[in-house]
Amino acid sequence: MILGFILAQCLSALSQAAILFFIACGLTLIFGIMRIVNFAHGAIFMLGAYVGFTIVAVTGSFLLSLLLAPIVVGAVGMGFERIFLRPLYGRRDGGAYLLLTFGLAIVLSELIRIIWGTQPLAAGIPDFLRGIVVVLDQPFPLYRLFLIALGLAAAIGLWQFLERTRAGLLIRAVSQNAEMVHALGTDVDLVRTGVFGLGCAMAALGGVLAAPLVTAFLGMGTTVVIDAFVIVIIGGMGSFLGSLIGSILVSFVQVLGAYYFQDLALAFMYFLMLTVLVIRPGGLLGKED
Amino acid sequence: MIRGTSWKAALGVTAGVCVLLPFIVPQYSLTILIEALIFGLFAMSLDLLVGYCRLYSFGHAAAYGLGAYSAAIILTQLQLPLPVGIVLAVLVTMVVAVPIAWICTRSTGVSFAMLTLAFAQLGYAMLFRFRDITGGSDGIVGIPRPSGPLGMTWFQGKTGYYYLVLGCLFGSYLMCRAIVRSPFGAVLSGIRENEAKTIALGYNTRAYKTATAALAYGFGGLAGALYAAFAGFASPELFFWLVSGRVLIMVVVGGAGTLIGPILGGVFFVFIEHELSQVTDLWPLIFGSIFMAFVMFAPEGIWGLLTRRFNARPELASADAGNETSDAAA
Repeated sequence: MILGFILAQCLSALSQAAILFFIACGLTLIFGIMRIVNFAHGAIFMLGAYVGFTIVAVTGSFLLSLLLAPIVVGAVGMGFERIFLRPLYGRRDGGAYLLLTFGLAIVLSELIRIIWGTQPLAAGIPDFLRGIVVVLDQPFPLYRLFLIALGLAAAIGLWQFLERTRAGLLIRAVSQNAEMVHALGTDVDLVRTGVFGLGCAMAALGGVLAAPLVTAFLGMGTTVVIDAFVIVIIGGMGSFLGSLIGSILVSFVQVLGAYYFQDLALAFMYFLMLTVLVIRPGGLLGKED
Repeated sequence: MIRGTSWKAALGVTAGVCVLLPFIVPQYSLTILIEALIFGLFAMSLDLLVGYCRLYSFGHAAAYGLGAYSAAIILTQLQLPLPVGIVLAVLVTMVVAVPIAWICTRSTGVSFAMLTLAFAQLGYAMLFRFRDITGGSDGIVGIPRPSGPLGMTWFQGKTGYYYLVLGCLFGSYLMCRAIVRSPFGAVLSGIRENEAKTIALGYNTRAYKTATAALAYGFGGLAGALYAAFAGFASPELFFWLVSGRVLIMVVVGGAGTLIGPILGGVFFVFIEHELSQVTDLWPLIFGSIFMAFVMFAPEGIWGLLTRRFNARPELASADAGNETSDAAA
């Protein structure tokens, strides 16, 4: 009985980790390639949830929204990178990106408010994922198991993509030495645009998946972006594996903290982050700049 | 930069206008005016870090919140005279700032921004932990403005409070101006332009950055304390990262590294926001777009644009030629 309860809590934390991972991995990829902290990542996540909601409302298919929403949002991300970020690459000052993406976060959330209105949109769990699974005598929602499976699949898929494909090779090369890759005749700007789009698409996927759990509401991005920052900093900025480890750590702290130490639940996450930073300033798997 | 007599004249005229304002504008506008001045002070405090050390703090809400909550607790629990309470709140904020700044200044750039953000969020989270002192999500309400010392009561009314805030703003501005023009400030500029070189010259840059952060927190805490005593309440939102983001926008749009620019940025944004939000709900969209435009096309901000035009006059151009090139390099 106790064992079942613990298992249920772990599964719950892992499903939370899956959603956080979708956001954090995009954030860390973008940082690794471009040295940009994308403050708009929370707003992008929110945009994914809203676009996904609309696709479900129009076509009635949840699976289709899982496929289309990331494509749409990824395209938005690529457009933003192309128009706004690229002119700034020559500037020495890294703070400019932080400020610009913060501006984008404001503009995006406002556009979402204007387009979709202020009412929270309840995107129900699709019928085929609505069931309850009994794990060691504890009932557990099927949808959360689906999240864990999908998160795992995405982690393995992205990892294989980065390690085994030519595009992945280029991405890793650009993150190590962009000038050299450029000198060898690769269009580095294209890689950057692609990675920014990919990161945004992953966040959008997280948004579509999170919407049935929390409903899509304005402001769903403002807290989640901070969680994602904490994850990326704990794991090490730019480290893909680090974002996976960070997601799992943070979600366990959140879920267990919310259950056992309610007053400290919020503070726990930041304690974890500060501890990691004081011991290893670059994060668990990151390099110190 | 505007120099010498013209600067003194401009400051005198501005001060005169500000002193006369309560007799000109209606009482209800005074409320928004006070809030605007407080936000101007808050933005100027952040400029010490952003403009002079190029340390982008994304957690300056911590200074505001700390000042506000310290003042709230001191004034409600201890019933000390208002000026004493505010001074104590500033001191508390500065003392708390030193260890935080020491840890944060270990890194620069993006990591610094993230660390400051984490500390501010930690402060936000702690408000809910120590519910019995901070009031949790309700915050602290009914903050009094106790009279004294020496039986002073002039700051209890709205007009009097306006003069208190105005005095604090002018005093802080003069202090910050003296700081950035002192040898200490010159070292800060050195850190901004080339930290490695400054270290090689024998300066302990981390100590300088920590001291500057403590000062920035002190002035930010002053703004927070003034706000809490004026509004009569302190709520957790004062600690939230959106406040940090807003004030950073004001600094950048106003003109980082000029002190005056961020003050104007803070004052005008509170005003425009107040006016426009009554006419249209598109204000945040406009606000965000203007901000993005400034980051892209005019990183020197409004005040930077104005003074560049001013400096473009031939008789002044030569005097500031050195300044200009260093700005351009930045």
